[in-house]
Amino acid sequence: MRNVPIALGALALLATAAFAADDPIAARQALMDNNGAATAVAGGILKDQIAYSPAVAKAVITSWNATAAVVGGYFPEGSADAKRSHAAPKIWEDMAGFQAALAKFQDAAFAAAKASGKDGPADKAAFAKLAQPVMQTCKGCHQDYRLEN
Amino acid sequence: MRLKRLLGGLVVLGVVGAIGFWVATMPRGLPAATLAALPAGDAARGETVFWVGGCSSCHATPGAKGDARLALGGGRRLVTEFGTFVPPNISPDRDHGIGGWSAADFANAMLRGVDPAGRHLYPAFPYASYTRMKLEDVADLWAYLRTLPPVAATPGPSELRFPYAVRRGVGLWKLAFLRDGPAVSLAGADPVVLRGQYLAEGPGHCGECHTPRNLAGAMDTGRWLAGAPNPEGRGRVPNITPGGKVKDWSIEDLVYFFQTGFDPGFDAVAGSMVEVQESLAMLDDADLQAIAAYLHAVPAIAGAPQP
Repeated sequence: MRNVPIALGALALLATAAFAADDPIAARQALMDNNGAATAVAGGILKDQIAYSPAVAKAVITSWNATAAVVGGYFPEGSADAKRSHAAPKIWEDMAGFQAALAKFQDAAFAAAKASGKDGPADKAAFAKLAQPVMQTCKGCHQDYRLEN
Repeated sequence: MRLKRLLGGLVVLGVVGAIGFWVATMPRGLPAATLAALPAGDAARGETVFWVGGCSSCHATPGAKGDARLALGGGRRLVTEFGTFVPPNISPDRDHGIGGWSAADFANAMLRGVDPAGRHLYPAFPYASYTRMKLEDVADLWAYLRTLPPVAATPGPSELRFPYAVRRGVGLWKLAFLRDGPAVSLAGADPVVLRGQYLAEGPGHCGECHTPRNLAGAMDTGRWLAGAPNPEGRGRVPNITPGGKVKDWSIEDLVYFFQTGFDPGFDAVAGSMVEVQESLAMLDDADLQAIAAYLHAVPAIAGAPQP
């Protein structure tokens, strides 16, 4: 009986993996929604609407880093569904360019994660220094590789 | 005898019609008196007009950032259903750009869509919006453009499909659609809203992408800013009336978006709006607040952009 939670957890993991493989659009959208939510917390901190906490700041950065590391894997050939997805067809016309734009996000997020230390950036200024380079990469990719609406 | 007379009549009618078309569609610049009243222009004020208009989005090298946005050599390709438009070099280079133009030439292009050779310009150059601009703003913008670096390169010509390749047709289009009055009636609105209306409907030319067009390619003022298919063919340009995507955005949210590219949910701006936003970010808070106030004041139209 003690193994029930573990079994449930394993099932959930399996379900996630199956969901991601079957439906890359839903998977990448969930990742980017998560990314947006993390950015909203970062924005709230930078705009002084959310009180600074090193642990929260670290969670934001770690979340970006996780998305950056994996999201590029969910744009298989043929997944430009105009009804469900705002991914621009240019992703598949220029996969190298898309990966290069994504790499800027990966590099900035990885550098921020590495610099946040065990407890997260000490104060808002330290966080801003790590977060702003990450946040500046969003548009670089969206400009060419995501449709307006 | 009768047939001859009938044929003769038809020929006369045809000639009269052709002359009528020729006269009606003649490119017409501004009246001489207006051009004579053209003020000298102030380059510092013109810089503001430049960023409201986002001239770099079409006339700088695609993807240009920072000061590279001031090198207006043209060369972007706008692929539309009418054909491919190639925005020209508008840098002060005498041979490749508009360095040989006079202020009056520039005013005719901006406000009437006529080039110095007396030809109609295609309304892909958004003079259907610029025609609402104040003469002094056009003069200021001209003074500012004169200060930018010359670019010695001529981008390729536009390639339009028939019948759009016939420039005289643009004369008919102007007769039917070119109006310098406001797009929506906000009479009695406060001065901040009216300033925003001027910026957004005139130099800012927001309607050119955010308003759907009729079959002749003119903006449908009945669905002003209600969103439209992307003129470059992919995706949709959002509805930015209070009935659309931005309905819950406060004035502060809109200003923050113009300044940073992040919407209230911290999604980042995408597509061709990136360059527009980066131009708007150069404006001062008062002008951005005016544009935001205007967006709160325009008639709300519900729903997503129509296909």
